[in-house]
Amino acid sequence: MKKTVRIKINGKTYEAEEGESILSVCNRENIDIPNLCFNEALAPYGACRLCMVEVVNGPGKKGMTTSCTLEAVEGLEVVTDTEQIVKYRNVLFELYLAQAPNSEEIKEMAAKYGVTKTRFAKKAKPLDPLGNKCVLCGQCVRVCDEIMGTAAINYIGRGFHTKINTPYLEKNDACMGCGACAEVCPTGAIQMEDIYDKRIMKSWSGTEVKLKKCKSCGRYFAPEPIAEFAYAKLDPEIKEELKDLCPDCRRKLLSRKEILISQGEVSKNED
Amino acid sequence: MKIKTLQDLENVRKAGIKKLFPDKPRIAVGLATCGIAAGGQDVYEALETALKKKGVNAFLTKTGCFGICNEEPLVNIAMPGKPLVILHKVQKEDAESIAEKVAKGKLPEEKALCKIEEWDHITSEKPFFYGKGYENIPLWNEIPYFKPQKKVVLRDAGIINPEDIEEYIAVGGYSAVYKALTKMTPDEVVEEVKKSGLRGRGGAGFPTGLKWEFTKKEKSDVKYVICNADEGDPGAYMNRNEMESDPHMVIEGMIIGAYAIGASEGFIYVRAEYPLAIERLKLAIKQAKEYGLLGEHIFGTEFSFDIRIATGAGAFVCGEETALIASIEGKPGRPRPRPPFPAQKGLWEKPTNINNVETWCNIAPIIKKGGEWFSRIGIERNTGTKVFSLVGKVNKVGLVEVPLGTTINEIVCHIGGCGIKSKEIKAVQTGGPSGGCIPRNLFDTPIDYDHLKEVGSIMGSGGLVVMDEDTCMVDTAKYFLSFTVDESCGKCVPCREGLKRMYDILEKITDGRGTEEDLGILDELAHTIKATSLCGLGQTAPNPVITTIKYFKDEYMEHIKNKVCPARVCRALIDYFIVPDKCKGCTICAKNCPVGAIDGGPGLIHIIDQSKCIACGTCMDVCPFDAVVKLSGEKIDTPDKPIPVKKGR
Amino acid sequence: MDKEKLQEIIDKYDTESGKLLGILEDIQRTEGYLPKDSLIYVSKHLNVPLSKLYSLATFYSFFNLQPVGKHIITVCMGTACHVKGAPHILETIEELLGISPGETTSNGKFMLTTSDKQFTVNTARCFGACSMAPVIRVDGKIYGYNTPKKVAEILKKYGWRGK
Repeated sequence: MKKTVRIKINGKTYEAEEGESILSVCNRENIDIPNLCFNEALAPYGACRLCMVEVVNGPGKKGMTTSCTLEAVEGLEVVTDTEQIVKYRNVLFELYLAQAPNSEEIKEMAAKYGVTKTRFAKKAKPLDPLGNKCVLCGQCVRVCDEIMGTAAINYIGRGFHTKINTPYLEKNDACMGCGACAEVCPTGAIQMEDIYDKRIMKSWSGTEVKLKKCKSCGRYFAPEPIAEFAYAKLDPEIKEELKDLCPDCRRKLLSRKEILISQGEVSKNED
Repeated sequence: MKIKTLQDLENVRKAGIKKLFPDKPRIAVGLATCGIAAGGQDVYEALETALKKKGVNAFLTKTGCFGICNEEPLVNIAMPGKPLVILHKVQKEDAESIAEKVAKGKLPEEKALCKIEEWDHITSEKPFFYGKGYENIPLWNEIPYFKPQKKVVLRDAGIINPEDIEEYIAVGGYSAVYKALTKMTPDEVVEEVKKSGLRGRGGAGFPTGLKWEFTKKEKSDVKYVICNADEGDPGAYMNRNEMESDPHMVIEGMIIGAYAIGASEGFIYVRAEYPLAIERLKLAIKQAKEYGLLGEHIFGTEFSFDIRIATGAGAFVCGEETALIASIEGKPGRPRPRPPFPAQKGLWEKPTNINNVETWCNIAPIIKKGGEWFSRIGIERNTGTKVFSLVGKVNKVGLVEVPLGTTINEIVCHIGGCGIKSKEIKAVQTGGPSGGCIPRNLFDTPIDYDHLKEVGSIMGSGGLVVMDEDTCMVDTAKYFLSFTVDESCGKCVPCREGLKRMYDILEKITDGRGTEEDLGILDELAHTIKATSLCGLGQTAPNPVITTIKYFKDEYMEHIKNKVCPARVCRALIDYFIVPDKCKGCTICAKNCPVGAIDGGPGLIHIIDQSKCIACGTCMDVCPFDAVVKLSGEKIDTPDKPIPVKKGR
Repeated sequence: MDKEKLQEIIDKYDTESGKLLGILEDIQRTEGYLPKDSLIYVSKHLNVPLSKLYSLATFYSFFNLQPVGKHIITVCMGTACHVKGAPHILETIEELLGISPGETTSNGKFMLTTSDKQFTVNTARCFGACSMAPVIRVDGKIYGYNTPKKVAEILKKYGWRGK
């Protein structure tokens, strides 16, 4: 059990677990801080620079820092919206609006903080697989690597030329088609589509993943590698029964089983 | 042989002394990268042949760089009992006459630059005395280039053979390791370094002793020390020379640091652009292992330590500590937020202490002579010396080692001998892409960590690039931004996107499309990037722009308002003209113009069609009569069409 | 690149520190660039995702993903070289060899190869030979104090026959 510490945010005292990120605390306490690269499930990354707060008191360094990487310690005191933070954040929003001009999510977020225009030329790469919506927050890369252990996509190049895609910009057979990348993307940049028996990762060089066909209803329901990935974790006996069933048929099967069990016709498998 | 005792060390020292002071002439050719490029290797080979051919009994060897780069190739000759004489601008054609003279016990005095009668290697028990004589040759520290210099880091460079551990030991090398390991506790070593006041030579100037203490305090089964040799600042090459000319001093410093901190493994992270430094470091590590100075139970103590080389692969950002660590771990060099600091979680999550090459070079002298001794060099809070690479538009270029607190003026004008071809010096750039441009009227600023910061620049690794009236400050700012845009790792937004936007604005200005409003946007971006970037690269990258706007605003305004580049550098704002009175109608310019913009013919005055000209400057390069001029915002009268050149000129 | 040689390079590295970059650097030194099948081989044998190797190869400017010409000319773009006219030297080389700047590779690296595959021209951020600025390097040999005229003479040494 971790120690509970008391911290001050905008003058008000809150309790937090020692070492917990200040951004987590703010999210929990409904203190509004914009952010793009933070995800509770992933290690803090500190790239989007939107979640800046100012440390006014505490054992460490004072001044502006990102709240996602700032850990709660006893006596820490931060302010979330000084004039300086707002000023710099607005410039960052302008940079984002120019970098990802097609992202509605970015426009909405920036507008919420009063930034509706950018003084910088908007990016307009005609064949951008991410539709000029990517802000390189890296959540997709990190979820693919840290959570799925796949690393099908990664950063390519560096600096202003950085992009995210599969190696050699070719279809990549490491991809399991789980779609976690699209799920975590904060700007709606990642495109994928299920067409008949295939999932096409449109943003990832058209990587194709075969879909599993339900042995009961015949519908294609999940990427094969994901199904195998999940089955591998199941109890062998349950696996045999549930394998190759789509979620609907699985549910039907289970509820049928429940009924049979309740009627005493099948003994519940408990050991 | 393995050195285990003081007596062992003494035996090797004596063997080394015999090589430094043989009973015959010693001829050493300066063979660091710059010496080799200047033709040093050819000189070495020619001397070898000539000495053999003439049957001269001399000891020919190689040495590092003595620091006065535009006099290279350098060769030093020491006759037994006579001063060590440094010959300059030696060519392979000189080999025969040198060999002949040496055979007669004479010197080629016409090639002599200076002589050394006595030399203090700092780590040796007492200075080495070569001898007196050669009245016509000036003493090395009498010539203006060396007069204000004090060689602590460059104590052996250009004197000993960097590929021979015995020569290093001869000048007191590894005796500081012996002292630390057998006579001092780790705490005492840290204390001594703290007492010296040494600050990190990589740029930020963090106190070294304090840094060591942080890593020392961490409890861990494994700790690492790293030497940051990823010298990335363009215009800075002191680290390359330190490694090429005296690799053992880096290793010795690291052994002492590892002992103090409790590290068992060390890495030298060298950029791949420095193949010779890598080669000499590898050899030095191999020799140190053979002599038992690296490996198990150094000097028969309980302390064991080993060093490996890791090579960088061309990424400036890897000079940043966390990016450097990521790189050694086999990842792209993208920095991560600190804390945790490397002292807590560094390489493979273990406590790690990283110091710059030159920081490590200062350790042996500090341990040998004491922190107190070191702290008396330089000025308060900025102790010791610093090696600078003085380059650019200055007469004498090379590596200059001076006490911290020496003024810019002393270095640029006294040591460097001011501008080339009597051109007016305009500024000096320090600190590479993280630094700033300091104008001439601030040349009385002492060069140290604090004063440079006050004027908006930083020390950086020690590059001093001199700029004159022909250097455009807007172009310079743009140059540095193009560098940081390319070298940004791309992780955080202000650095990745913001710097590119700044670059675009600067390009607009140098293209003559800038507005006054642009200066305001530049300023806003610069301060946002400084305040919000993740690592030091972004936090300092706007400095070249901020300082040039601050000190050279009129130059920006000339570009913006009058569409004039006063230094005549920005291509969109300059025009080339052929001066009718000077043109001899030789047709060379017309033949070489890549876009066919020059009209003329044999015996005719040539004319540049301004609508076709791309201002590449080729005509100016090829004209044998200096008839082509480059102007900005001005023009000269030229005929409408090619007319015959006036006779009799 | 043949498998035996590749395996030899991989086996040379006995600890994790410095391993991946070291292997890639060795491959590049042998082949002049990083062939795709070599990266795939390393990926399989070290169990490192290909995307990570590709990411490394495109992050560090030392690496090339395309084959290079017989002679590699690198123009130093350091500060000292810049103020002493490096951009003009680069332009002169491009013009002499008849290659136009055109597009740099997609990851922003500058690299041009002549159509006869005799020369590849690229740039570096500083060789640390600033005292001889402007500097170029041909096949590892450094040439200092360059002028457009001198550059043409250097190229001749490497078999350039004039425009």
